[in-house]
Amino acid sequence: MPEAFKAKLAFIGHPIFGLALVVALGIGAEFASGSTVQIWSFVLVNVLIAQSINVLTGVAGQVSLGHAAFLGIGAYASALLARKFGVPVPIGLVCATLLSAASGWLLSFAAGRVREFYLAMMTLGFGMIFYEMIREWTGVTGGVAGLSGVPSPALKTLKFFGHSVGAVGYFQFVLAVTAIVMWQLRNFLTSRYGRAFFAIHASEVAAGSIGVDRVATKREAYTLSAALIGLAGGIYAHLVGYLGPESFGLHRSVEALVMAVVGGLGTLSGPILGAIVFTYLPEKLQFFADWQFMVYGLLLLLSFVMLPKGIAGLLLPRSRYIKPSARKASALKSQGQGPQVSQDLVRLDTTQPLLKVNNVALSFLGLRALDGVSLEIGQGQIVGLVGPNGSGKSTLVNVISGIYRPSEGSVAFDGRSIVGLRDHVVARLGVLRTFQDPRLVKSFTVRENVLLGVHRLYSQGRFAAAFDVPSARREEASMLRKVSEALEVVGLIALADQPVRDLPYGDQRMTELCRVLVAEPRIVLLDEPAAGLSEGELGRLADVIRILKRRGVAVVLIEHHMDFLDDLVDEVVVLESGKLIYRGCMEDMYRNAAVVSAYLGTEGRQEVANA
Amino acid sequence: MDFFLQLVFAGICVGAAYALIAMGLSLTFWTTKTLNFGQGSLLMLGAVALTALMAAGLHVALAVPMALLGTGALMVLVERVAIRPLLGSEESMGWVVSTLGLGFFVQGFVAKFFGSQAISVPSIVFESTSFVSIAGVQVSAQSLSVLVVSTALMLGMEIFLRVSPWGRAVRAVAHDEAAASLAGIPVRRVVVLSFIASGILAGLAGVLLSQINGTVDPAFGFNLMVFGFVAAVFGGMGSVRGAMVGGIALGVIEKLVGGYLSSAFESAIAFAILMVILVWRPQGLFGQAEINKV
Amino acid sequence: MLEVNGLSVRYGAIAALSDCSIRSSEGTITAILGANGAGKSSLMKAISGLVRPSAGTVKLDGVDVTQLPPHARARLGIAHAMEGRRLFHRMTVEENLRLAWDFRRGPDSFRQSLDRTYARFPVLAQKSSLQAGLMSGGQQQMLILSAALMHRPRCLLLDEPSLGLAPLIVQQIFAVIEEVRRDNTIVVLCEQVAALALRVAQQGYVLRRGRVAQSGEAAVLAADPALSVAYLGA
Repeated sequence: MPEAFKAKLAFIGHPIFGLALVVALGIGAEFASGSTVQIWSFVLVNVLIAQSINVLTGVAGQVSLGHAAFLGIGAYASALLARKFGVPVPIGLVCATLLSAASGWLLSFAAGRVREFYLAMMTLGFGMIFYEMIREWTGVTGGVAGLSGVPSPALKTLKFFGHSVGAVGYFQFVLAVTAIVMWQLRNFLTSRYGRAFFAIHASEVAAGSIGVDRVATKREAYTLSAALIGLAGGIYAHLVGYLGPESFGLHRSVEALVMAVVGGLGTLSGPILGAIVFTYLPEKLQFFADWQFMVYGLLLLLSFVMLPKGIAGLLLPRSRYIKPSARKASALKSQGQGPQVSQDLVRLDTTQPLLKVNNVALSFLGLRALDGVSLEIGQGQIVGLVGPNGSGKSTLVNVISGIYRPSEGSVAFDGRSIVGLRDHVVARLGVLRTFQDPRLVKSFTVRENVLLGVHRLYSQGRFAAAFDVPSARREEASMLRKVSEALEVVGLIALADQPVRDLPYGDQRMTELCRVLVAEPRIVLLDEPAAGLSEGELGRLADVIRILKRRGVAVVLIEHHMDFLDDLVDEVVVLESGKLIYRGCMEDMYRNAAVVSAYLGTEGRQEVANA
Repeated sequence: MDFFLQLVFAGICVGAAYALIAMGLSLTFWTTKTLNFGQGSLLMLGAVALTALMAAGLHVALAVPMALLGTGALMVLVERVAIRPLLGSEESMGWVVSTLGLGFFVQGFVAKFFGSQAISVPSIVFESTSFVSIAGVQVSAQSLSVLVVSTALMLGMEIFLRVSPWGRAVRAVAHDEAAASLAGIPVRRVVVLSFIASGILAGLAGVLLSQINGTVDPAFGFNLMVFGFVAAVFGGMGSVRGAMVGGIALGVIEKLVGGYLSSAFESAIAFAILMVILVWRPQGLFGQAEINKV
Repeated sequence: MLEVNGLSVRYGAIAALSDCSIRSSEGTITAILGANGAGKSSLMKAISGLVRPSAGTVKLDGVDVTQLPPHARARLGIAHAMEGRRLFHRMTVEENLRLAWDFRRGPDSFRQSLDRTYARFPVLAQKSSLQAGLMSGGQQQMLILSAALMHRPRCLLLDEPSLGLAPLIVQQIFAVIEEVRRDNTIVVLCEQVAALALRVAQQGYVLRRGRVAQSGEAAVLAADPALSVAYLGA
């Protein structure tokens, strides 16, 4: 679909349009027929269901195949609270949502510990268990016969705090709730939290390197997702007035997946479109209802291959993950705020080294990857890390950044030990890094990727983000300003709003570097940053590194590109077979016997040469 | 005591079937690091195909191999359509949903054309009512046949993997695909063969297990797939021994819980075991701990 | 004769090899030298088929193998021992050798090839039922080399065989490589330690940033001071 066409439809994603639609529906319900209001109500329930899958799978990249279980938890909880304990329905809904969220959190205990598909199978099992439990627990749920008499407008038994609520009133209530929840979801997804979800989806390693705790974030995604569908369940219960186990079986979970996947994962409008389509289709097309299972199966089978971005991807422009309001605010107030990124640090603390690696050793499958490596790096120092293949350069960087744990030795940053700390914790201390292949969120723009870098610097919390309070907006605007400035420095400002996957390699590299630059690092570890860069790009890279140096940031560069290191580094460290064989200036390195031997083998290998 | 033994025997027999399912799941995991989340429908299809073929007049000796050929062939389709195109994609879990989708499609297909009611499965070897006495305990002949066939297959599998060139090839592909291809192993073919074998095992498990109840319905196999998965995780994904031990252990525990507490808890206990294993020892009893390299 | 013409390899947007041409005749050891990231491994992988080139051809004895998958090339007699000591750790020594044999036959029987291997490297005979992953680095490299030689390959590609090994072991391994060369095999050897490779090779190519920067007789290259430029960029 051509971009121009998509741009015309862009208004669908605009909040004003959404608000207008909500108001129109709310008023329209007064005049619409009973069955229309009924189907609209079901659409709203399905919107919540589809969004819950979207949050978990589309945004955070996790899979749940038994989500109907949470729908059921919410439904039965709200139904029972109202029917058996007389709890007012609105409160019952809140309780149902919380219960469902807690279940999601509990179920996700294995997240981050095992491969993703184990968790997927677990969710399938959970769905199965829940279904059986509903059927067996006759005393509570009514078993196979089901739970009837749930307060609902159809039976005219629905009361909110004493006032009777009819079908239209309930619809308007659900409409308001859904609208508010969607608004909060939008705020959340366009905040650093939503971007963090995408980060763990796109690259867990990159997420860790910017300070995102992947285990906690995955669990958060499950919890939020369960909450959304639990709320849907509660609403559903009072819509239908009767609950039976058949409503919460595998086909319901599949239907949820279909709505979200075909609608469009990773966008906000996609699941809404999916919900509308798949609520109306079975109602209006008998043919569809007959073949429903087969169609759903086929859709799930083919969607990822044929239409990975769903209907939304086909019709609408890409979702943005930065609030337009924040963008506008950041563009305005640029006076009164000095350059944040290229400031020079005046005083350098030379009393203690910034990073102290002491006698670190690590073995892989019997191979000594690092063997008693010790080194110290001070503030503002640029150190080149070189050595032949397999000498341990990347391993050393991985140990420092917390990805590997050494079997011996210690690593201290700013005086405190960081050995054994997880990578995201180390990142939060200010030890930042880049990777041999740029680890970026491919579907994000340059700006959005760089914005990920400041993740750890925010002070506003989740609620502030969800409600888009003024202080959260100000903070976001300030961060965006910082990002814009960094993009100027690095020379990417012209490309700032292009998706990173469309850009050439050199620009992707610079984006990753910019992400580090903006994150207020204390020490930066760069893994082969010069590889594949053109002459001009190498110049820009060197400039950025010098800026970091002026700010007192220590820089460690793994490189093979000696020319590049020549003008740049203060000193160079050479590793060979896991041992540190030279440390000093580059000039002397070329003449150092051990180094030359390691690379060219002219000395020290005479015995072999004579063979 | 008799009651206890009866439960244990029943557990061993059903556990052997779980082991077969676990083995089928593991085969594709070895060669592609993926699982067919629609495997349950293959179990069902095996039983349904057998019933249909025999109803069409085919002798059981022909009907069984043909039914298994069918499930094997379906797995070729699974690999081609639901797995291969999605292996390199950005959505790293796309294959989970697509295999589930295919399974669901098959289930829907059978429900549409054969009806969603349970259909009765013809007895192949033993009548569902014939019993055998072992150590004074009455064991259903069909359960016993499940045990015998499963054990034979497991042993065959183990021998195949250890001794035959193609078995070695599967192990090689599982360990290092690039090195395997350099050794002259046609990796593509090994992958497809592993999928076919997985389909055959699933179809066979379906045929055997449906004998016990005597009926099959479109949703048959779904629960069993989950149990098979639990057995595989319990024993250790990617280990024949693990599948066997995990399956039998799961079967026995399940029957004991069902017999002494309530049959309602049979599924729950399987799930509980899964959770405990994932917390305590994710690689299972015989599996190797995974190292995540960056 | 192995002929590589105008080979280019890209990994996404990175050009690992650009317009590379190499020739190696039978009974010759050709050394491929260059710094890390120069493209040596990419060249080897393009010859054995692990990566598809974006341009260029690979011919073995006049046969164009460029479109063939790796296992087909292996059966035509291209044996590639990758860098990083890649073997099947959980299989025994003998199983590794058996695996190397099963899908490509050689002129001898399995028993004959096995005996030849054990004669060359007696330590492998001693450890024949030991899991390969439990052996030392040097023994593993011996096994890798032996596996590549089981079927008497036409063309042997060795990627950094001496990496991390003690001089004595390296000596043994290079003696076998020389033996293989005398057997009229085409040998392409890529090493980090330039002098080592140039001692045994007849000719060499120096890669720099994906292109052939220098080529010629091994002795000439070895005496050339510009070689250190290619490696250390000084």
